[in-house]
Parts: sequence; C-alpha cells; structure tokens
Amino acid sequence: MLTIEDLAKYPFLKKASSFVESYGLTFQDLASDEYDYVVQRAVERVRRGIEGRRAELNVVDPETEILAYPLSLAFVYGLKSGWVVRRFANSEQKRCFELLKGEEKEKIAEVGRDGFDWDLEGTELMVSGALFDFSLPVENYLEVAPSFHSPDWKLVNRHVTGGRVYLKHVEVARLLSEALKLKILRKAEEEDIKKFQMPEKLLSKLEGLEKLVKDAKKYDEEVMAEFVEEAKPPCIVALLKDLAAGKSLSHMARFTVTTFLINTGESVENVLKCFTNVADFDEGKAKYQVEHIAGLIGSKTKYLPPKCDVLRSFGLCVGEDAYCKRVRHPLQYYKMKAREIKRKKGWEKSG
Amino acid sequence: MDKEVARAFKEYYQTLDVNELVVKDLQEREIALIPLGHETMIRHMTFTDTVALKEYLEDHIPAHLYYSSAYYKEPQASDMNKKGWKGADLIFDVDADHIPTPCKADHDTWTCLECMAKGTGFPPETCPRCGMKRVETTTWVCDRCLEVAKEEVFKLIDEYLIPDFGVSLKEVEVCFSGHRGYHLHVQTDDVKGLTSDGRREIADYVRGVGLDPKHQGFRMMKDGSIIGPDLRDGGWRGRFAKSVYAYLSRCTPEELRAVVGSDEVANIIVRNKERLLRGIMANPPSWMGLRGVELGRTIRIAKAAVKDLLCNIDERVTIDVKRLIRYPNSLHGKSGLKAARVSYSDLETFDPLKDAVVFKSGSIKVYVKEAPRVRIGDYEVGPVKDVQLEVPEGLGIYLLCKGAAELRE
Repeated sequence: MLTIEDLAKYPFLKKASSFVESYGLTFQDLASDEYDYVVQRAVERVRRGIEGRRAELNVVDPETEILAYPLSLAFVYGLKSGWVVRRFANSEQKRCFELLKGEEKEKIAEVGRDGFDWDLEGTELMVSGALFDFSLPVENYLEVAPSFHSPDWKLVNRHVTGGRVYLKHVEVARLLSEALKLKILRKAEEEDIKKFQMPEKLLSKLEGLEKLVKDAKKYDEEVMAEFVEEAKPPCIVALLKDLAAGKSLSHMARFTVTTFLINTGESVENVLKCFTNVADFDEGKAKYQVEHIAGLIGSKTKYLPPKCDVLRSFGLCVGEDAYCKRVRHPLQYYKMKAREIKRKKGWEKSG
Repeated sequence: MDKEVARAFKEYYQTLDVNELVVKDLQEREIALIPLGHETMIRHMTFTDTVALKEYLEDHIPAHLYYSSAYYKEPQASDMNKKGWKGADLIFDVDADHIPTPCKADHDTWTCLECMAKGTGFPPETCPRCGMKRVETTTWVCDRCLEVAKEEVFKLIDEYLIPDFGVSLKEVEVCFSGHRGYHLHVQTDDVKGLTSDGRREIADYVRGVGLDPKHQGFRMMKDGSIIGPDLRDGGWRGRFAKSVYAYLSRCTPEELRAVVGSDEVANIIVRNKERLLRGIMANPPSWMGLRGVELGRTIRIAKAAVKDLLCNIDERVTIDVKRLIRYPNSLHGKSGLKAARVSYSDLETFDPLKDAVVFKSGSIKVYVKEAPRVRIGDYEVGPVKDVQLEVPEGLGIYLLCKGAAELRE
C-alpha cells in the first residue's frame, strides 16, 4: 500500500501523477500566492540538481513535495539544456537510491510496479552460497542494466533462471533509481515546454535558474581554466613523479598523464616539459603524439584519460584517498577537488 | 538467370498454399525481396494479408524474400526514422559458415583477391601470403556442417532459452535458413521491446562473452578453501557445476595439464578425481579441498569445461532491432531449398538436404562446372568438374542456384 508519504518520497510514481492531476492545477494556478511554497520547493529541487547536490531527502509536507515535482520537471525541461537535465537526473537518482535502500521489500516491489511496470518479486533465494532478495523479469532488468559499465551488471554474470534475474536488495535500489534517471533523460527528448506558456511569476523563477546555470557552468569553466596543482589525483601525482625522476613509463601511463593534463587545460608545451627528463625523450615525436591526443592534428579527436576501472586493471592506480572513493574517473576527481579548493580559497579571501 | 530456375520458382509460388505464408502480424512488417535475375532489393513493401502477398509474389518471383524482424506503425515508409518502430522479434542466427568444422577442408575454398593465393577449409581472416583482408570464399555445406548447426540450435533452446530465459517451446519458431543454417525467432511480447543493448546482453549471455566464474559461485574462503556452485542450481551456476563434473570425468591428464598450467596440480587432481567428483555431486557440494588447487586454477578448469556449451551464433543478427530476415517457407535463391519451418519435435530427424527440397519431379540435364561431393535428397554426386549430367530436379536446381552448373544445349 503506497501512502501519501511514499508518493512524496517517490513523486515519479503513477499514483503521484494521479494525485497531482486530481488537483487540476494549471501554470496560472501555481503562480498564485496560494501555491508559493510549491513553487519554492520546485525551484529548490532544480537548484540542487544544478549545483550537483543530491535532492533533499527530508519530506516536510507531502502535499507540497508531490505537487512540486512536476513543476520542477517543467523548469528543468524549460531550461532547454542537456547539461541541466543530466545534473537533475543524477541528483534525483541519488536521492531515490538513498531512500529505496532503506525501504521494506514490499514497498520496493510496489515502487517498481507503479513507477516502471516492473514485475519485482520479493522472494528470497539461496543458491550456492549467495542469498538473493528479489527476482525481476529479464526484459525489465535489461531496460536499465546495459547502462552500467561494470562487468558485475552484465547479464552473463547474473543468476538467471526461468526468465528472471535474481538480485540483492541494494542492487534493486540501484536499478530502480537508474530507471528513474533514464526516464527523466528520455522524457527530455519528448517534452517541449514553451517558456511563454508560463505566467510571468514562473518565468522569472525560470530566469533565476537560468542565471544559476550560467554561473555554475562558468564556475566549472573557471575551475578548468586555471590549473589547480593540489587537485591532482594520486595516480597522476605518482606518474608525474616518475617522469620527473626520468623513469620510462608504459604507453598507457604516458597516455594517462598526457590526456589528463590536456583535459585540465594544460598547453602542449607544458605537457612536453613533463617528459623532458625521460631517457628516450624525442621532442619531435613527443610533440606529434601530444598534439594528436589534444585533437590538434590527425583525427581531431580530443582523447579523455581512462577511467579508474581501467587504470586499476593496468596497475596504475596507487590506492584510493577519500576523494577517490567518491569518483570513477580521474577528471571527476580533479573537478571535485579543484572546486572545493577554490571554494575554500574564495571564503578565505572574502572572510 | 537460368530459365529452369525461373520456371521452378514460379511454379513453387503459384502452387504455394497461402497458409504457408502466415507470419505473426504480417501487416506490421516490412517486406522486401530481390527478384529473380536481379541484384537490387525492392524494399519497404507492406501487405495486409497473405493472399495479397502471394498474388504479388506470383507476379514478381523472388530469388530472396525477406520480412522485418521489427513491427512498425508504417512499415511502408522508406525513411527508417518514419517507420515508427513498435518492437521486434528476438532472432538467433546459426550459420554453419561461422562454425569451423573439419569438413570445410573437403568442400570450401578461398582465394586472396590481392595475390591470388588459394586454399581449402575455413577461410583465414587475412591472407597468409600477403596479409591482405580481401579473401573471397566459395563455400558449400555438407551433412556434417548442417548437423553441427542443428546441434547449436538444440543447445540454444535446451540449454538457454527454456531453462534460463523461461521461453516455452511454442514461443520459439525454428526455420531452416534455406542454405547453411537455422534461424530462431522468439516472438513473445516480453522480448518485443528489448533495445539493441539489451539484446547484446542476451547474445553475450549465450556466447559466454564477459563470463566471470567468480560471479557464478566460485570464490575462495578466508582459510583458502574453495567454494563452487551446485549441480542443482539454475543458470550459469548449474551449468558450470555440471560441465566441470563432466569435464573432469572425461578429460585426459594431458588436457588437464595444459589447462591448469602445472603438472603437479594436474597430477593431484587426477589422483583425487573420484573424491573431487563426489564432492561436486554432494549436497551441498564441496569443491577442491586440495592443496595447490587454488581459485585461479579452478576457474581455468571451469572455463575450459563450458567451452562446448557456448553458442555459436552470429551476434550481429540478434543485436539488430531492424533486421530483414528470410521469410519462412520462401525459397533461397542460392540453393533452391525452402526456408522451412521445423517444429522442435521434428528437428532431430529433420534432414535439410532432403526435407527442404521442393522440386522433386523428373530430372534435368545440367553442365556442372565444378562441385565438391553434393547430396540432395537420396542422390549424391561429385566431386565433379566440367561434365554434362542428368540429375534429379532438386539437385539440378541446387547446382544451378549455387552457380556451379549451367544449362547447355
């Protein structure tokens, strides 16, 4: 049984939509003072997404929460930016995952059914040492699992029998929250909310959010524009140290350093400087390779550094620090840490 | 196009029972064909019923007839994006051409178009002489090839589709491809909406791509002992347990040595074989409580053991959600054989080179340029070169369609 509190936690459910529909609200209605709190909540939800934070877990007033969700989607799609949609979808995914992890099995099954037409069964199964909490039809599983890159999620590495995939509680929470994310992303392609349909009051909110997007993006660009030495991940630090000591590195190691530096805004000249101590350094050849990686010549593709999984399998990961635990890619590490360092420096200046 | 082939194909389509053309939701599928004697395909056709389709076929005799695995809102739209994809059958293509069999040396030849080097058997990816990739092949099939293809079909159905994917026999349609293999069509609502990525996962599942035994019950405990799956488990777990059991029972000490990469460990296993087999069989199972047989080696054995259970399918066909696939019960222009539907119960005894032969009246005279040993029906011929022969109609049409023979006055 889904309660109103459940609908507030999972406002993407069909039952939540029916709840909203029963109010018969138009944009005009929402613009009236009576619904100020709904608009506030919707704006806050989008803001969190833009800022890259997880959507709020606490539900103060279920009614507001449920009514605000479709409006926040209208704002997100109204901003007409793929970047915003992705940020928002991520923020909602994280929130949904956190909430689902703590739910009873029955509740999870209901969320799956009502939200995504999934036939989740909460039957326990013990097979050769593994205990599963749920089973899900293969076709439901495959709606989402291919978007995960880890080999654990490959169907061939799952327990599949009788047309059903067997899963643990936390895995189902992950799948459902990812299904939500994909739903938000997919809907962006269909939705066409025209700004002029919104009354003045909502439009001004939308403009406020637009400015926030600009600032957030500018901030991202600023972070990337100026290289933050201290934000380098440990794997890159180790590789640069080896280079400075004149050690000869593997192809993969050189590729990782080069792509990392190029993508954090270093110039070809500065990248080349890192390699000058290496015994077999050939400037002409190295310049050609770095320019190639930077997308300046050849196929004109700017290459990205490999993700953590790959670095790990090539033995280039030197062990995790606290930031590593939160990321899956060295550039993600850099951006996150650089942002925090900058924020801290900004405070020091202003304070 | 030889007039004999044209006559025979025309006669086939004229006398065909319309019920043989029944396919699920015909009106939602794109129909395509290559007319006899032509190279280009006519696409984006749609038919409301089999009567209309048959009438069309009588006027436009096809060398090859196809229908889309996909269901569309507007199958006739020529722009793929405007067709309105509604879903697709899940297709598995088993083709003897893709399976290296020893008999290929008897009937297949390849020629490098760069340096004109020639060879027999399964074609190399690159020419062994000049290293170029332009290798042209002339392939034939024999009973052995088709038998191997059939075994793949059984494996796919019995080992994967029914137990793991929960598909029932009546939801799978098996068709002889009309030439070198079989097509399996799964036509349930469950699979209809699968994306290409989802289908890739299914193809990888049956091919064992990315399969990691550590995710299927094999792991090492803190004390160094090894835990493995149970014969009674479903899915890949049970498959691993059963095949390791079978493998250890039958493998030679030499094979085992090559797999585990250590004479000492192989010897330990061989000496304790009976105990090991009893352990795997036990409920709950106990795996390899032996010194030196650690997880890595157990996994190597497991991988070697399941090798024969991996399906040999052309994964591109399974992944494609908009595939044109040969129309059931149509004729294959390169063999003159019928792409016959075969029920699961008849599959065991189905003889494609006999049961898919539709031309059975009288005999025809053909000039055979070159052919290996060929059997159609109960009649065998070859290897032959540059001879005029009078052969049963089915064989004659087969040789003409293969381009190995021609009509000469």
